[in-house]
Amino acid sequence: MLGDSRKAQEVFHATLREAAQRAARRELPSEPFWLFREARWRCLEATKNDLQPEALEIGEHDLAPAAASQIERLDPVQIAIWISAAPDPQRSALALFYLDEFDYREILDLAELKLTELSCLLAKGRRQLQAWLDAKFPQPGRV
Amino acid sequence: MKMLSLMRRQRALLNCAPITARQSADHSMRAAMSRADGSAEFDNQQNFDRAAARLVRLIPIPAESAEWFSEKDLVRASQWTWKKMMRNPAVLAISIAVAVIAGVFVFNFLSQLNDFPGSATARKLLGTAASTRPVMLDPVNAEAETLSDLFFMKYGLEHYDVPAEFADFGTIGCRVFEDDESRRIAQIWLAEKRMQFFLFPAERDSKTGAVLGFPGWRYVHQEGWTGAVTEHSGVCFMAAIRGGDKDLQPYLKPADK
Repeated sequence: MLGDSRKAQEVFHATLREAAQRAARRELPSEPFWLFREARWRCLEATKNDLQPEALEIGEHDLAPAAASQIERLDPVQIAIWISAAPDPQRSALALFYLDEFDYREILDLAELKLTELSCLLAKGRRQLQAWLDAKFPQPGRV
Repeated sequence: MKMLSLMRRQRALLNCAPITARQSADHSMRAAMSRADGSAEFDNQQNFDRAAARLVRLIPIPAESAEWFSEKDLVRASQWTWKKMMRNPAVLAISIAVAVIAGVFVFNFLSQLNDFPGSATARKLLGTAASTRPVMLDPVNAEAETLSDLFFMKYGLEHYDVPAEFADFGTIGCRVFEDDESRRIAQIWLAEKRMQFFLFPAERDSKTGAVLGFPGWRYVHQEGWTGAVTEHSGVCFMAAIRGGDKDLQPYLKPADK
């Protein structure tokens, strides 16, 4: 969500502190994902005043059969930065989806999205990532 | 139009299809995946997502945050305490049940400690004493010891003697009746504190027919009444009074208390 380990750590600790304080006051919300929702909002808050990426028209490509091998050539930090650079709510959708910890209904709840919105954000994200992969690791025969 | 909407929804669901089997899929998601199963486009998407998810899992977590995800338990399991255990409704219910059962056992055990041959009959007669009214008895104004002759002469009851401790007490009535086991019971009503005497056959050994005697006085209790019972010559005598042991003790010989 942040692409910055220092900020991620600050958000993580702030979220935990909030949870501990609420627990001490016996005010923990009963809804199951409040901690993740809280963390997400803190992430968005943390990046609100940062330099924002330029609103560029990012290219989109159809998914390639060799996409998996292209992704394997990436450094994990690169994909972290790529996801964190996406505008929200696409950033939240991609981060939550590729964490592979939540099913789609939970993501809809956490990111406060509709199914069609989440679907569009993920589809667009894949196509944009594919375009970036194609630019980074050109495949013979692909335009 | 409806078909188009359905297809759009299925397309939307497929775009959110779970990457691995770790995530649960509801019925509509399973249906959409089943329909798309085998299509090159969906296979591409799944391979893409799996590769991306594998890479995301490799994103380094800051060491200080990673410590929070160690194998150690973040929250120590709550300590087992007697107090906590006793608050458990199941344990509480079982404890109460066991306490009641134990109470019944102790009560029965203590009752049996005081049992003696004829105690069951004596208790029944205390019930009779509680329900008897003076009009049910034949009026007899005499000393208690003289009724032995009456019982023998009129009813043929041998050894239905009133013990010396109660011999001088004045009576106001008496009767002889049969209990539910056809045993003949003599009942005497006294003026003294509405006391009643009962004379009834002592219990006998079912094989030998020998009288099951016991020494001295024994107490029985029933429905707020207390009886002091003694056995002599195969006949039990019981002095019954409404109250406790202390109400009867002054009438008994000190040595026999």
